[in-house]
Amino acid sequence: MIDGLVRILVFQGIGEVVAKFVVPLVPGPVIGLVLLLAYLAWRGEVPEGVALVSAAFMRYLGVLFVPAAVGVVLFWPHLQRQALAIIVALVVSAVATVAASALLAKLLSRGGSDAP
Amino acid sequence: MRPDLPAIHEIWVYLSGSPLLALILTLAAYQAGVMIYERTQLNPLANPVLIAVTLIALVLAALDMPYATYFEGAQFVHFLLGTATVSLAVPIYKGLPSLRGRLLPLAAALLGGGVTSIVTAVVLARLLGADEIVVGGMYSKSLTAPIAMGVAERIGASPTLTAVFTVTTGILGAALGRFVLDAVRCREWWQRGFAIGVAAHGIGTSRAFSVHPEAGAYAGLAMGLHGVIGAIVIPWAISALR
Repeated sequence: MIDGLVRILVFQGIGEVVAKFVVPLVPGPVIGLVLLLAYLAWRGEVPEGVALVSAAFMRYLGVLFVPAAVGVVLFWPHLQRQALAIIVALVVSAVATVAASALLAKLLSRGGSDAP
Repeated sequence: MRPDLPAIHEIWVYLSGSPLLALILTLAAYQAGVMIYERTQLNPLANPVLIAVTLIALVLAALDMPYATYFEGAQFVHFLLGTATVSLAVPIYKGLPSLRGRLLPLAAALLGGGVTSIVTAVVLARLLGADEIVVGGMYSKSLTAPIAMGVAERIGASPTLTAVFTVTTGILGAALGRFVLDAVRCREWWQRGFAIGVAAHGIGTSRAFSVHPEAGAYAGLAMGLHGVIGAIVIPWAISALR
């Protein structure tokens, strides 16, 4: 498991360095993700340690964003004043996104496979 | 009372200055959230993150502890977000074979869904009078939370608001998704799952897995691809438009 963690941390480190000096617009961990993806594709398999660490992170992903989300207490008065705008924007956007995505997948796959 | 025992307030002063208290609080609140979530048969409205955040906010208010003090301890959990983001490569890699033969509809669903998510949220929030701080938190809200927060930092938005909007979006997508999918008469499991993954990232994915394994697999793939592509395209598009 430690070997998997080392590999993931090394990719994170490379990603952070690349982000800092080459592509400052992209978050470093995402560059690390893409590099790890390329490494997995090159190996043609997921090393056991990497799979173990990844599975652990995926299982407990939620707890990792709790500390930042608690920061909402700082914005509370601010958010209360704009509650209506926020709620409407989030609800409509979530519904529209599911609908748009589903319709595009449905229409384009029909045109591709069983078109009349 | 033995004279060498410290008074209770001294213990408290010692503990509240150590990162341990915030760490215990964070993990215990999340554990409580998970227990409630499991007790409600994984109802998306009983989201463990939402429960944990509410519990911690109440405790901080009761103890009169500033957020900065809490975060000093909780940052050890926060730091792992980046590492977790990198390890998202594994589920994406495992999902890639599912793209075969369905690349065009899935690419269109991802792109169309991503653009719809941003445009509807930003335009509506602006129209209804939200300020720039709130609007900034809307851009990356359909990406998986760790990536959404990284993107927020890059575009000068608040990672905190982004995290809150992201979790809320996930809950909304997971709770409302099936009604929307039925309304647009989308019946294939792979299409249903993918649409939920595009809109509602990890929370939608876990919902999709609980409904059908094929839907879950495609939702996970959508979450991963949306995260990666969104993280590359959104900051670039925003800086080009400014």
